[in-house]
Amino acid sequence: MKMLFKLAFRNVFRYKRRTVITFSAISYGLGLMALGICLYNGVNTHAMDSIINAETAHIKILAPGYFEDKDEVPLEFTIDEPQRIKSLLKDHKEIQGIESRILFQASIISGMDELPCLGVAIEPHIDPLVFEIKDSIVEGRFLESSEPRIILGSTLARDLGLEVGDDCVLRMFLSTEDFIWNALDLKIVGIAHTENPSVNRQTVLIPLTLAQEALSLENRVTELAIRIKDRNRLQDVRESIQSRLANLNTDFEVVSYKEYASDFVELMKLRSRVQVLIPLMMILIATLGIVNTMLMAVLERTREIGMLAAMGMRKIEVMLVFVFEGAIIGLFGSLAACVIGGLGGWYLEAKGFSLSFLGDKITDMLSFLPMEVYRGNLTAGTLLFTLALGIVVSILASLYPAYKAVKLDPIQALRHVG
Amino acid sequence: MSIAALDNVHKVYHIGKIDFPALRGISFSIEEGEFLSIAGPSGSGKTTVLNLLGCLDKPSRGKIFLEDKDITALPTSKLADVRRKNIGFVFQTFNLIPVLTAMENVEFPLILEGPQDSKERRSLVEELLTEVGLKDFIHRRPNEMSGGQQQRVAVARALVKRPKLVLADEPTANLDSVTGEEILQLMLELNQKTSTTFVFSTHDKMVMDFARRIIRLRDGKIESDQRVNRQ
Repeated sequence: MKMLFKLAFRNVFRYKRRTVITFSAISYGLGLMALGICLYNGVNTHAMDSIINAETAHIKILAPGYFEDKDEVPLEFTIDEPQRIKSLLKDHKEIQGIESRILFQASIISGMDELPCLGVAIEPHIDPLVFEIKDSIVEGRFLESSEPRIILGSTLARDLGLEVGDDCVLRMFLSTEDFIWNALDLKIVGIAHTENPSVNRQTVLIPLTLAQEALSLENRVTELAIRIKDRNRLQDVRESIQSRLANLNTDFEVVSYKEYASDFVELMKLRSRVQVLIPLMMILIATLGIVNTMLMAVLERTREIGMLAAMGMRKIEVMLVFVFEGAIIGLFGSLAACVIGGLGGWYLEAKGFSLSFLGDKITDMLSFLPMEVYRGNLTAGTLLFTLALGIVVSILASLYPAYKAVKLDPIQALRHVG
Repeated sequence: MSIAALDNVHKVYHIGKIDFPALRGISFSIEEGEFLSIAGPSGSGKTTVLNLLGCLDKPSRGKIFLEDKDITALPTSKLADVRRKNIGFVFQTFNLIPVLTAMENVEFPLILEGPQDSKERRSLVEELLTEVGLKDFIHRRPNEMSGGQQQRVAVARALVKRPKLVLADEPTANLDSVTGEEILQLMLELNQKTSTTFVFSTHDKMVMDFARRIIRLRDGKIESDQRVNRQ
């Protein structure tokens, strides 16, 4: 066995140029695959984080019926006594923060321009415990309780040509069907630029009390947003919240971010199916490289194979020489792929890349992804997978050429003029 | 004792739709220690006889015996085992493994069938390479040696397992006459020293002059079987 391996090893370096080409095909193909997986994992993780941090929090408590119509952000399903729920959950050790919020349909008017937006009424002193919007203020400052001020998403502000200190009109729709609305004249106090392009494009923030007054909701809110301390305990915490709420005589819907962002989760699942195609294509490149190289080797070494058979080498031994050769090329190719994937993945994780250089139109088209900078997520598992896949594919790809080699008739092979 | 024997052997090759009879009823027996030449013009069936004796091919009719054992009906895998244990080959084009050194080329058959201990193997190989005059070339690869040196390595490789039978198909055809003679001289010496049976095919008169027995073939039949006494 050792000798067969030695023979295979030396044969790999016998045709240097061809080995280098095959090696490059494998390392390039699998390296790109590793990068693809790394980026995909990164986008998945960061996208979910971005949605949680700016839109859904971990858990939302909603009035019955709200969830079904959540895309319309209706105002008719409200929680009447948010303070009661808050005090009920006050001593829950796994909850980091609970914020009362109202989501409403609105539009921003600046001079002759008007753009639709999503109004979010927040409790400014609690919001930083639940969301990370405060950290994303790029100009001006965050809101303070009950002041008649507004924060705009960066893209929205840009599109309307608004800056911190400017005045604008917020048209708040009490009912879109009946076109009943109220308008507030507000000064812009800050511009928020989150990782999530859809938030930047369509969100405005105002203090909760201001919204309650303008929307005639008194103390009512449309949701309670909760951040928990350990995301892995999501299901347990949700259940414990549900059981506490059962003490109240009112029904509530307790929804996790996975359900709230189910459209996005579905999109990710679909993407993961498409994503399978990329490794498959890369595997195809590697396979073709190996098969081609090994078939050439069988052709060029026909007489040698005849001689080995004449010396009494068994078919399985002849096969092993070729399979080892494939495996060796595969091993080196995949190691190089791991280096490419590792370095590239490290860069993607540390710096990420943005498509903003392609212009606003392209970034707007991609705004279904809740992020602007795509960051990778490099794991040892990805690299190990790349390594194992490269070796397995190379071995499988050499089986056919190896089979061709042992099918040769020794007499014909010995007569072969190469 | 008979090392090998052919009993009324026929061999027909099917080339396209045409049947080409290469051997038409050949019988002869080879005794241990013989230095035998199968001679004849091209197409007379020399190589076919060697292939059959070397268990590389099967006869269309008739029987083949190795050490009185009928091997005609053995399956291909068993024939490989027979070759591995009993037969050494020397080819016209040397056919050394280009990526292995002289030492490793000769060692190769021993690894397939021989002592497990690598030191023991290596000392056997070194001894043999010294015997064929390649003491200083043991670490060279085939492309660093002349044709004559390569054929010496091939002879050493054929002999290293101490096989019963060494088959050489036109072993000097790719060598100049002086080198060819040296190779034959070497094979003859080894034949006398080790009593290994050598069978080689040729159409070269000089080569036949070395043989102690010459079987001449013509059109797939034995034309003459002649023993020669030489000093």
